[in-house]
Amino acid sequence: MKNPPAPDRQLQSGRVYWRGLEQLSETPEFKEFLEREFPANSDDFSDPVSRRHFVKIMSASLALAGIGLGATGCRRPEDKLMPFGKAPENYIHGTAQYFATAMPTRSGAIPLVAKSYEGRPIKLEGNPLFPGGNGGTDRFAQASILNLYDPDRAMRFAKGAGGERAVATASEATDFLDGQARKFSANQGQGLAILVEQTHSPSRERLRQEITKKLPQAKWYTYDAVDTGIYQRAASQAFGKSVRPIFHYDAADTILSLDCDFLGNEDEAFSSIRKFTSRRKITSPKDKLNRLYSVESLFTVTGMNADHRLRVPASTVLSVTAAIAAELGITVGNLAATANSPVDSKWISECAKDLKASAGKALVVVGVGQPLVAHLLAAAINEKLGAIGKTLALVEAPAVISVGLSELAQSLNRGEVETLAILGGNPVHNAPADLNWAATQRKAKTVVRLGYYEDETGEQADWHFPETHYLESWSDARANDGTLVPIQPLIAPLFGGVTDLEFLSRLAGLTELNPNRIVRTTFASLTGDASEAAWNKFLHDGFAPGSALKTVSASVVSSVVSAAVQRANSVTVGKDNLEVVLYRDAKVDDGRFANNGWLQELPDPVTKITWDNAVLVSRKTARELGVQNNEVVEVSIGDRKVVGPIWTQPGMADFSLGMAIGYGRRKAGRVGVGAGFDAYPLLSTQTGYIATSAKVRRLGHKYPISCTQTHWSMEGRAIVREANLDQFRTHPDFAQRMNAPEAPDESPMYPNPLDDPKRRSKLHQWGMAIDLNTCVGCGACVLACQAENNIPIVGKDLVARGREMQWMRIDRYFSASSKEHTWGQWFNDETYKRDQDQQFNEWIDNVQAVNQPMLCQHCEAAPCENVCPVNATVHDGEGLNVMVYNRCVGTRYCSNNCPYKVRRYNYLDYNKRPLSELKGPFYATALLHSTDDEWDLKRWWRDPESGMRSEQEWDLIRMLKNPDVTVRMRGVMEKCTFCVQRIEAAKIAQKIKAGESGDVVVPDGVIKTACEQACPAGAIVFGNTLDPKSRVSQLKEQQRNYTVLDFLKTKPRITYLAKVRNPNPAMPDYTAPFTFEEFELKNGNPFTHGDSETSSHSGAKINEGAL
Amino acid sequence: MSEAATRTKVPVTPLELVREPLVANQRSFGWISDRVSAVTEGRTPKWWWAAFVPSLCLLGLLGAMLYYQIATGVGVWGNQHPTMWGWDIVNFVWWIGIGHAGTLISAILYLLRQKWRTAVNRAAEAMTIFAVMCAGIYPAIHVGRVWFDWWLFPIPTYQGLWPQFRSPLMWDVFAVSTYFTVSVLFWYVGLIPDLAMLRDRAKTKIKQFLFGLFSFGWTGSNRHWSNYEKAYLILAGLSTPLVLSVHSIVSLDFAVSQLPGWHTTIFPPYFVAGAVFSGFGMVLTLLIPLRSMCHLEDIITKRHIDVMCKVTLATGCIVSYAYIMEFIIAWYSGSAMERFHFMNRALGPMWWGWVMMMSCNMLVPQLFWFKKIRQNLVVVWILSIFVNIGMWFERFVIVVVGLYRDFLPSSWDYYKPTWVDVCTYLGTFGLFFTLFLLFMRFLPMIAVSEIKGVTPQADPHHPEAGANGGHH
Repeated sequence: MKNPPAPDRQLQSGRVYWRGLEQLSETPEFKEFLEREFPANSDDFSDPVSRRHFVKIMSASLALAGIGLGATGCRRPEDKLMPFGKAPENYIHGTAQYFATAMPTRSGAIPLVAKSYEGRPIKLEGNPLFPGGNGGTDRFAQASILNLYDPDRAMRFAKGAGGERAVATASEATDFLDGQARKFSANQGQGLAILVEQTHSPSRERLRQEITKKLPQAKWYTYDAVDTGIYQRAASQAFGKSVRPIFHYDAADTILSLDCDFLGNEDEAFSSIRKFTSRRKITSPKDKLNRLYSVESLFTVTGMNADHRLRVPASTVLSVTAAIAAELGITVGNLAATANSPVDSKWISECAKDLKASAGKALVVVGVGQPLVAHLLAAAINEKLGAIGKTLALVEAPAVISVGLSELAQSLNRGEVETLAILGGNPVHNAPADLNWAATQRKAKTVVRLGYYEDETGEQADWHFPETHYLESWSDARANDGTLVPIQPLIAPLFGGVTDLEFLSRLAGLTELNPNRIVRTTFASLTGDASEAAWNKFLHDGFAPGSALKTVSASVVSSVVSAAVQRANSVTVGKDNLEVVLYRDAKVDDGRFANNGWLQELPDPVTKITWDNAVLVSRKTARELGVQNNEVVEVSIGDRKVVGPIWTQPGMADFSLGMAIGYGRRKAGRVGVGAGFDAYPLLSTQTGYIATSAKVRRLGHKYPISCTQTHWSMEGRAIVREANLDQFRTHPDFAQRMNAPEAPDESPMYPNPLDDPKRRSKLHQWGMAIDLNTCVGCGACVLACQAENNIPIVGKDLVARGREMQWMRIDRYFSASSKEHTWGQWFNDETYKRDQDQQFNEWIDNVQAVNQPMLCQHCEAAPCENVCPVNATVHDGEGLNVMVYNRCVGTRYCSNNCPYKVRRYNYLDYNKRPLSELKGPFYATALLHSTDDEWDLKRWWRDPESGMRSEQEWDLIRMLKNPDVTVRMRGVMEKCTFCVQRIEAAKIAQKIKAGESGDVVVPDGVIKTACEQACPAGAIVFGNTLDPKSRVSQLKEQQRNYTVLDFLKTKPRITYLAKVRNPNPAMPDYTAPFTFEEFELKNGNPFTHGDSETSSHSGAKINEGAL
Repeated sequence: MSEAATRTKVPVTPLELVREPLVANQRSFGWISDRVSAVTEGRTPKWWWAAFVPSLCLLGLLGAMLYYQIATGVGVWGNQHPTMWGWDIVNFVWWIGIGHAGTLISAILYLLRQKWRTAVNRAAEAMTIFAVMCAGIYPAIHVGRVWFDWWLFPIPTYQGLWPQFRSPLMWDVFAVSTYFTVSVLFWYVGLIPDLAMLRDRAKTKIKQFLFGLFSFGWTGSNRHWSNYEKAYLILAGLSTPLVLSVHSIVSLDFAVSQLPGWHTTIFPPYFVAGAVFSGFGMVLTLLIPLRSMCHLEDIITKRHIDVMCKVTLATGCIVSYAYIMEFIIAWYSGSAMERFHFMNRALGPMWWGWVMMMSCNMLVPQLFWFKKIRQNLVVVWILSIFVNIGMWFERFVIVVVGLYRDFLPSSWDYYKPTWVDVCTYLGTFGLFFTLFLLFMRFLPMIAVSEIKGVTPQADPHHPEAGANGGHH
C-alpha cells in the first residue's frame, strides 16, 4: 500500500455516509435495486472478497496498526478508525511492528509474538519473554498464519442446511441469536446444548459459569477428536483430586515413554522438546546426558530420538507398563496377568533398574491414545520413582466438563435438544463412527455453528457463523503451566467473523458482548488489578507473571489403580488379529489444518510423506498380508471400514496398522479436499484410538504417494555422524576421525573468493552451527523458513516430481545394525536396487533414525558459483553465498554441481498458478485457459504480471507475503539466504545505533534466522564467526563439530555437531549407533586409523564392546 | 583436386596395390554432372514427399512443444530435483555429437588428403549444420527464462555485468556458435562451383537468377580456382581445431563439475571420439538409403561405405576403451563416491541405460571387423542405427545417471521424462529431416567439382585422361 487510506468521513463529520458500495449494498433496498437492474451481475457487487473490499479492510487494519497496544479495539473497527492524516504514534511506514499474542491449543496456548506490516500479520514467533520460553514454536503455530489468509475460510453468515443454503446478513444472524437468547432466557435454557472444544480460556470459563447461572438447564458438552483431556482425568482419578500433570523433562535423567510421542504429536510438544533437549546439550565429554527409553508401535519422533526403542504393538504397551510396574515392586490389582507381555524380560528388568537407579529424576509418560488404566499405572510408577513434585508436577486445575459426545448423542436421540450450538469442532467429520453423528445431529431442531470453515459440520447446520482467526480476535488462555496469556487481534476480522466469546454472550443474552471488555473483566478478576497499566503490561509482555497454577502434592489412591488394572485384559495381536492405531497427524492435526497448504506439503517428520496419510505397516506385516507400497487396501473392524494405501514404515511394530486421522476431508477447501483417506470410520467410543481384530483386504489398485525422501539408507557415508557416550568419552574427536582419510586434493577445486583479504569483511563473517544432538526433526524450522521467505507450495503431483520448494529440509535416514547388512555382496546389496525395493529388505525391521536439517551450506569455495554462466550466484564479503534472482536465467547448472542438493528451482510459475493448475500431465497454457472468465492471453496482454489465479486468491496471497523478500518467478533458482533480510535490517539498525561511536558490529544473538528462531530445541545457532565469543564460534570450537562432505573442501559456513547417543550398557539391545556400524563396515573403524596414536587401540576395544 | 603431376617416369603399380577407383564404372564427367544435377532438376520423387510430409509434421510438433514449454516453464519436462538436466542436455550433446562427422570429413580428411571424402563431404557437412541447429535449440530453451538468453553473450547490460568466464556453459556458447559459423562458411564455399554449374544448367529465369546470385559470379577461371583452393584450405585449417574443440568443451560442462561420473579428465578426448563415432553412424544412416534412392551407387561406392565402417569401428574402440578406463580409474582412485557411481551405473536402478550403451557402442561395432558385414549395406545400415541409439544412451548415462544419485542419499530420486520431452525430441528430427530433404532436393548433395578431380580420368597420367578432357 503506497497511499494512505482515505480519511474516515464518519469520524470527522459525525454524519453517516456509506464508505463504499459494500456498505450500501448491505441495505435490502439497494440489493433489490441491483437485482432488478443487473440480474446477471448482482453477485459482483456483494461479493465479500472483491479487490475493493480488500482495500477497505487493509485501510482499516492499517489505521488500527498504528493505534498502539492499549486501545486496539479491533473487534469494532468503526469505533476505532482514525484518519490516517494524523500519523499514529510509534508508527513508521514500512517498518514492522510486533505484538504479543497467543495461539490457543488443546492443553494451553503457545505464547507468540506476531510481526505485522502495515496492519498485516505476516510471521509468528514464540514469545521469548515467556517464562521458560526460548522463542521456539511448533509447526502449527508457524503455519497458522496461512489459515488467516485462506480464501476458503467461512466468509459469510449462512442459513438453511443442505440445498437451501442462503446467505444471511450479519444483522439477520445476530437477530437470530438474540431470538434464541430471548427464548432460552424465558425457559432457563431448557433444550439448549452447547458443544465446545477443549480450551483453556479463562474468559470462556467465566462466561460458562455466568451462562450456567443464567440458564441452569442449558447443557455443555466437549468433544475433541484428540482427547488430551485424558491426562487431567487420569491424574484426577489417580490422585483423588482435580489436578493436571505437568511433565518436567528437563528435570529427568531417565525417561520412559510408553507410546507417548511427547516430542512429536502430543500437545505442547514444542515445550517438551525444549525441556528434553536441554539435557542433550553437551559441550565436553564430561557432560551428562539424559536417557530416553521408548516403547511404541509407530515409529515416532520420540522413537527416533530414543536411546533405546522397543517396538511393540500399541495394545501391548499396557502389558509393558504393567511389567515395569511389577518389576518396580508395585502391587496393585492383578498386575502379573496384565504384565503378561511377549517382550524381552531383560529389556524390561534393565529398564526398570535404570529407572529405579535415577529415582527422583526419573519420569514415565504414557501416550494420549493409551487407555486410562495405563495412565493410572504410570501415575503409580511415577509415585514409586519419586517423580511427583520433581519431574512430574501436579497443578490444581478446574474440573473439566467431562460430558462428551456420547452423552450429547443420547440426549439428541431422546429429542431433548432444541438448539444445538457447535463452537468450532467438526464432529460430522471426526466424531466416533458408532455415534452416526451426521444423522444424530439432525435430531436437534436447530443447529447453530460457529466455525472457521463451512465444512462438513457447517454445511449440515441450520445457521453458520464465520469464526474469527485467533489473530483477529480478543481472547485469553492459560498456557500449559497455567500462566495467563492474552490473545489480542492483529487485524480486524477480514470477513466479518465473530469470536466465540461474543457468540456465547449473545446466545445466552448476556449484557456484555464486546470480547475486548469480556477479556479485560476476566483479567481484572484473575489478577485483581483493573488498572490500565497492568492491562497494557499484560498485552505488551504477552503474559501475566506469577499467574501459573499452584502445584499441589498428592499421592496415588491405589484402590483406583487396582480396580482399573483388575478390569484390564491383555490382547495379543497377530496376522489374524491386526491392530489399528489411529494417531493425530503431524501436519493436519485432527483435520483442522487440512486446508493449510504449507502443512500439507510439509514432509511428515518420520515417513516424509506429503499430502496424504497411509496405512503404515512393518515390512513383516506387509509380507504376511502380501501387500506392498502404494497398494490400496481396505481395513475393516466389524462393519466399519476405511481404505488407504499401504506404506511400509521401517521400525513399525509387526501386525500393527498405523493411520493418521484428519485426512480424506469431503469439504475442506481447495487444498484439503482429495488429500489422503478418512480414518475416522475406525474410531469408536468403545475402542478409542487403538483397536484390534482388524482385517485387511486388498483392493487391487495402486495409489501414488508423494514422498520427499525415497532413499532410506545413508549408505555408510559420514553424513550424520554419531557415537555413543562411551565412545565420545574415549574419543572426543570421533567426528573428525570420520573425515575422509585422504583428501583427493590439497586445495579446493573451486576458487574461494574470500581468500582475497580485500574481499573479506572484517566486521562480520556469518556462520551457523547445527547441533544434531538436540535436533529432534520436528520440522518447525522448515515452516518458519517457508513463512519468512515467501516460499510457494507446489502440490502433490509436483512433490512426486521432486519439485518441492522448501529451502530447508530435514534429511531422515534409517540405519540398521551391521548384522543386518550384506555390504560384501554386490549383487544382493540394497544400494544398487531401486529405492522402492527397500521396503522388502529385512534390515528395515529394527532401525534407528537420524535427522539432519539440510539447507544451503554457504560454501566458501562454492561449486555453484563457478559454473553459473551469468554470475547469478556470487559470494559476498561476509561469507554469504548470494543468489541474484534478477540475474538468474535458470540453467540449473548450480544445482547439478551442488553436492548438498539444496537449491530449489521454480519449474513453473508457482505464485501465479493455483494448485489446480499444477496437476496432471498437461499444464494449462495461456492459449487454452481463462481465469475469472477472461481469456488468459488477453489478461496477459493487458497485464503481463497477471497469472492464472483469480483476483480473490491473489488478494489474500499478497497480504501474506513478507515485503522484505522477493517473490520469485518461474525459471529462477532459489535457496537459503541465511535470511539476508534479517541480517541487513540488523546491520542498518546497528549502524544507526552506533552513530559516532562507529561500533557497527552487530552483537551476538541479535540476528536470528527464521529457522533458528522457530527451533524449540535451540539446535540451530547463527552468528558472527569473527567474534570468538559468539555462540556460533563457541559451538564450532567443540570437538563434535564437523563438515558434511568434508573431502570436497567446499568449506561450508554451516557445520554440524555430531550426535551422541546414551544407551544403557546393561541393556540387551546395547550397540554402537547403527550409523556408526554402517560407517565402519564401509570405511573401517575410525578409531584405529586416526592420527592420534594413543587412542587408536582403545578405540577398537570400545567398538568391539559395543558390538 | 588433382595432385601435381610429376614429369618423371611413373613406376607401374603392381596390380594388387591398385586401388578401386573412387567413381565406379568409369563414369564420365558429364555423367557425374547429369547424375547429381538430376536430383535437383528432375521431378520430385514420390519417396521425397513421403519423407518430407511427416518431417514437416514433426517440425510443427517441435513448434508446438517449444511454444508450450516457453509459455509454461521448464516444468513441462521431466527435469526434477536432483536431476536438473534430463533429456534437454542429453539431446543437446547427442545432436552436437552427430554434427561432428561433417566437418571432420570435410576438414581433417581434406588436410590428410583422403580423397574418398569428396563423395560424402557435402551431405555430411549439411548434416552437421542441421544437427548443430537441432542441438542449439536445447541450450537456448532449456533455461528458465529464455528471453534472457542474451545474457550469456558478452554484451554489456544495464546490470553492468559480464558473463562468468569461468563457467563451461559460457565456453559452450562460444564453442558452438563458432563451430556453427565456420561449418556454414566451409560448406558454402565448397558449394560455390557447384552452384555455378547449376546456374549454367538452369532452364528457368528464377533458377538462373538465384543460383547466379549465390554462386557469386563464378566463372571457373584459373584465378577463381586458385582463390577458391586457398580459401578452402584456410577454412579447412580453421575447422580442424574446431572439430576437436567443440566436443571437448561440451565435455567440460561435465568435467568441470565435481560430481562423481562427471568430474573426469578423460572426457575431452573421449567425447570427441564419441562424437566422430556417432557422426559417422548418422552419415551411414543417411547415405545408405540416399545413394540408392538417388541412384548414386557409382559415386558413393561400397568402398566409401567400407571406409566409413572402419572409421566407426576405430572410434567405437576408442570409446569402449574410455568406458572401461572410467571403471578402472574409479576403482584405482579409491574414491568411495566414484566407486559407488560406477557400481550404480552398471547395477543400479538405471542399469538398462548402461547396458544399452555398452552393447550398442562397444559390442555392435565389433561386427565391422568383418568385411562381409561391411559390404552388406542392409546390415551396415541397421548397425549404424544401433550406433545412434547407443550414443544417445551414452549421453543419458552420463547426464541422468550422473545426477540422480550423488553425494547425499536423501536427495536421490528416480528420473522419468514426460511426453513433452519425447515430443520435443521427435520434433528436432522433424527440423533435421525437413532441412536435409530440402537441401538434397534443391542443392547438389555431392561435391561435383571435387568428385571429378578424383575420377581416374582426371589424372593426367591415366590412360583415358584427355578422352573426356580437363574439367567440365
